[in-house]
Amino acid sequence: MTRRRSIDLFVNGTHQSVEVDPRTLLSDVLRHDLGLTGTHVGCEQGACGACTIIADGRAIRSCLVLAPQAEGMTIETIESLHGESLHPVQQALADEHGLQCGFCTSGIVVSLVAASRAGASADEAIDTALGGHLCRCTGYVNIRAAVHSAWIRLAEHGDEP
Amino acid sequence: MTATVPLPDEPAEGILVGRRVPRVDDRRRLTGAGRYVDDIELPGMVHAAIIRSPLAHGLIRGLDRSGLTVATDLVLGPGEIRARVAGPTPVLWHLPGQFQHDRPLVDDRVRFVGEPVGIVVATSRYEAEDAIDELILDLDELPPVPDAVAALAPGAPLLYPDAGTNVMAEFDAGDTDHLVGTVLADCDHVLRTRLSIGRLAGSPIECRGIVAAPDHTGKLTVWISTQAPHAVRDTIAQVCGVPQHHIRVIAPDVGGGFGVKDHIYEDELMVCLAALELGRPVKWIEDRYESLIATHGARDEAYDVEVGFDADGRLRALRVDAVRANGAYLSIFGGGPLFTMGGMLPGPYTWEAVRTTARVVATTTTPLGAYRGFGQTQSCYVRERVVDLVAAELDLDPADLRLRNLVRPDQQPYALRTVPIEFDNGDYPAALERARAMASAWSGDGSGDGLARGIGYCTYVQMAAVGPSIGNKMIGLDVGGWEGATVRMERDGTLRVIIGVTPQGQGHATTFAQLAADRLGVAMDAIEVIHSDTDHTPYSAYGTAASRSIAVGGGATIRAADALAVKVRAIAADLLEAAPDDIVLRDGRATVAGTTVGISLGDVADRAWQGWELPDGIDPGLIASATYDPQAFTFSYATHVCRAAVDRQTGAIEIERYAVVHDCGTVVNPTIVEGQIHGGIAQGLGAALLEDMVHDDEAQPRTTTFLDYLLPVSASMPDVEIAHLVTPSPHNPGGMKGMGEGGTNGAFACVVNAVAAAVPDIAAAITSTPVTPTVLWSLLHPDA
Repeated sequence: MTRRRSIDLFVNGTHQSVEVDPRTLLSDVLRHDLGLTGTHVGCEQGACGACTIIADGRAIRSCLVLAPQAEGMTIETIESLHGESLHPVQQALADEHGLQCGFCTSGIVVSLVAASRAGASADEAIDTALGGHLCRCTGYVNIRAAVHSAWIRLAEHGDEP
Repeated sequence: MTATVPLPDEPAEGILVGRRVPRVDDRRRLTGAGRYVDDIELPGMVHAAIIRSPLAHGLIRGLDRSGLTVATDLVLGPGEIRARVAGPTPVLWHLPGQFQHDRPLVDDRVRFVGEPVGIVVATSRYEAEDAIDELILDLDELPPVPDAVAALAPGAPLLYPDAGTNVMAEFDAGDTDHLVGTVLADCDHVLRTRLSIGRLAGSPIECRGIVAAPDHTGKLTVWISTQAPHAVRDTIAQVCGVPQHHIRVIAPDVGGGFGVKDHIYEDELMVCLAALELGRPVKWIEDRYESLIATHGARDEAYDVEVGFDADGRLRALRVDAVRANGAYLSIFGGGPLFTMGGMLPGPYTWEAVRTTARVVATTTTPLGAYRGFGQTQSCYVRERVVDLVAAELDLDPADLRLRNLVRPDQQPYALRTVPIEFDNGDYPAALERARAMASAWSGDGSGDGLARGIGYCTYVQMAAVGPSIGNKMIGLDVGGWEGATVRMERDGTLRVIIGVTPQGQGHATTFAQLAADRLGVAMDAIEVIHSDTDHTPYSAYGTAASRSIAVGGGATIRAADALAVKVRAIAADLLEAAPDDIVLRDGRATVAGTTVGISLGDVADRAWQGWELPDGIDPGLIASATYDPQAFTFSYATHVCRAAVDRQTGAIEIERYAVVHDCGTVVNPTIVEGQIHGGIAQGLGAALLEDMVHDDEAQPRTTTFLDYLLPVSASMPDVEIAHLVTPSPHNPGGMKGMGEGGTNGAFACVVNAVAAAVPDIAAAITSTPVTPTVLWSLLHPDA
């Protein structure tokens, strides 16, 4: 086993220092070292998008990042996006039945929130953000409907939950 | 005859069945608070990796661990696994001519790449996988048998030499060969073709996974991503030699199942053995590579088809010879999908003769198992593809041809020719007429954009509510088909609904609450549905599969709720000095009909749980349990129609429009039913156009990532228009028919038919799936 090293992360507003084997995937650090199990791992191949997080403002796949590469990153995970109320993207997914088993949902929510912050239109968010995710339950139809209704709500009220 | 009516926009006031009740348990999934099996952390837990065969076929000589340097907690090689196994793993479906009825957890040979032969346990998954790299599975290589053609060739290597054949089961279904031959000879036309379906991987986004935790009392608690916790418990008991009362199986949140999680696999049983050996919790989480090579596949069937028809478009005889490249061994449901294909082959049409002959063939590839559709998707494909070929031959509109042959409502109940089963009811022509009307309203055919367009149909009947227990026995399926439920009103009038079936995203916590709410007058937010824990839920041999949860589990829930309602009314009547039949349960109150005189259900329940001053003959407490064994199968039906656009220059395919007219009897929650249809369509469309699990000539899997095995993405899927018809089934207390697989059954054939309709010059050559752009382009440009 290689020598463990310490890395510093800023996760959901909190400074975290973790000792890890350098080959550890960022997704495993979040899930198993920090207990943030809302970030799901569906393929470890960068294909399914379930493990998407926001790192330094961009949506990335945490299964494709080694822990040392994340040194100093500011990270937001699914656990941080709602208050007492759901984020408009989450609420729209609930309202439109845009999730079934929920395993891919965390990554989709994170990608769509990142797209909304980046100023993407609803259609752009569907093409570029949702387009990078695999969902095996919903057939995507209701997720797209949720994007449209979420974007209307975001335009009216912003992303305050 | 039960009338078929459109689904009303809303049910009567106060009624929840039929209403778009929001799902009650989405918040945790939306906020990352779901609890899936890999989210479970236990003190002292260690992690497993599985030793798998790198070769498709070979005799096991042993496990060479001389190079092992990584610290491990446990290594169990093939011999050590065998020494710890108490019994074989079961095969539950027994077909004629079948030579395998159970099998050892680890045999003396391997028969597919990825076959589990041992387990390593270490401090972390990383270290366990390091150890796997240092172990060498010593094999004497045997020749591979990559597909059915190789398996059936004279002198083919045998996977089971003692059996003397690679044919694992051989059977027929339907009319006699003589009758089919006679009708075919009498037909104006006979058309022959060969169809095939590629190999699929069910691919839930959550892979399989298990945590097995023994405690000091000898009890083994298992969390597993499964559709059938009770069946998992039964198999652990049999294979690991632990009595059933010392095993508790819990399905936590499950990230999709689709059939592939309908039983416990060999690798997961090895985790149980390892946990029992170590006396500490062991976790194993399958990765995607393992999911694609070691989780059971689906389809991989080929069909020689003869169809006889008359010049006026009457479909008369259908004869199919089918071969299933079943892989290395029979999974728990064995050759059942091919039997089901033959059984449901006639579909909704009035044939004069239908016959299937079928062979289930051993190949050195991943075993096939259950996957959404379970043979019915295949029967739809064979029949509906052939119907379109007939329409082209006769130059008839495919919808007109279907209408001419559909079973009419006045012919219901209609007996299937293939198995002694009757369709229950429904208006099949109405579904097709309505779907055709929806498609005819589609505008924007893009004329002038250079794309070729085609409309495709699939009309089907889906066997659901599997099944009557005696029906399962009749077809050789060694699984009870009944379900149980318990309904308990707590002292404050809130309600627990405890069910044997288990969800993987279908929304049981909402729909089963709706069923109970209407019968007991309890609000949705005062109901908890408890499921997926063998220590606390009624036995379910079958689990959630075969489109049966709401039809069979719902039937049990209705019976239990009705029984409890009788008791609630009796106590309330006593308190209100009224007759029990006059008590109405609604809005959390028991009220004397036609008056405002009433009391809260909490007051009724409080009396019941105190146990004194109860009416004569009423026992204390408010609990009712019931079982429900269906009298007969129920049959949902639908017509799917879609429009494909094909770029003849590139072979690119887009499904632009899609409509479904559907009847699953009583609709408990239209939003959830529509979600099931959407998802089912995506899986049918994926199989039609994208998904292909490829093995090479050495039977090595070549599609081992989601970059090679292509699932539908958002851009693959059109929006879907859905119209509901409702014909309550007479065979179910609530009239529900079950529909979870219907979308897949319909979409697969519908999409292929639409693509073929777009390219009529080569339509007859579109006989295998997936129809990828490469396949289509090659057919369009044979000289290129």
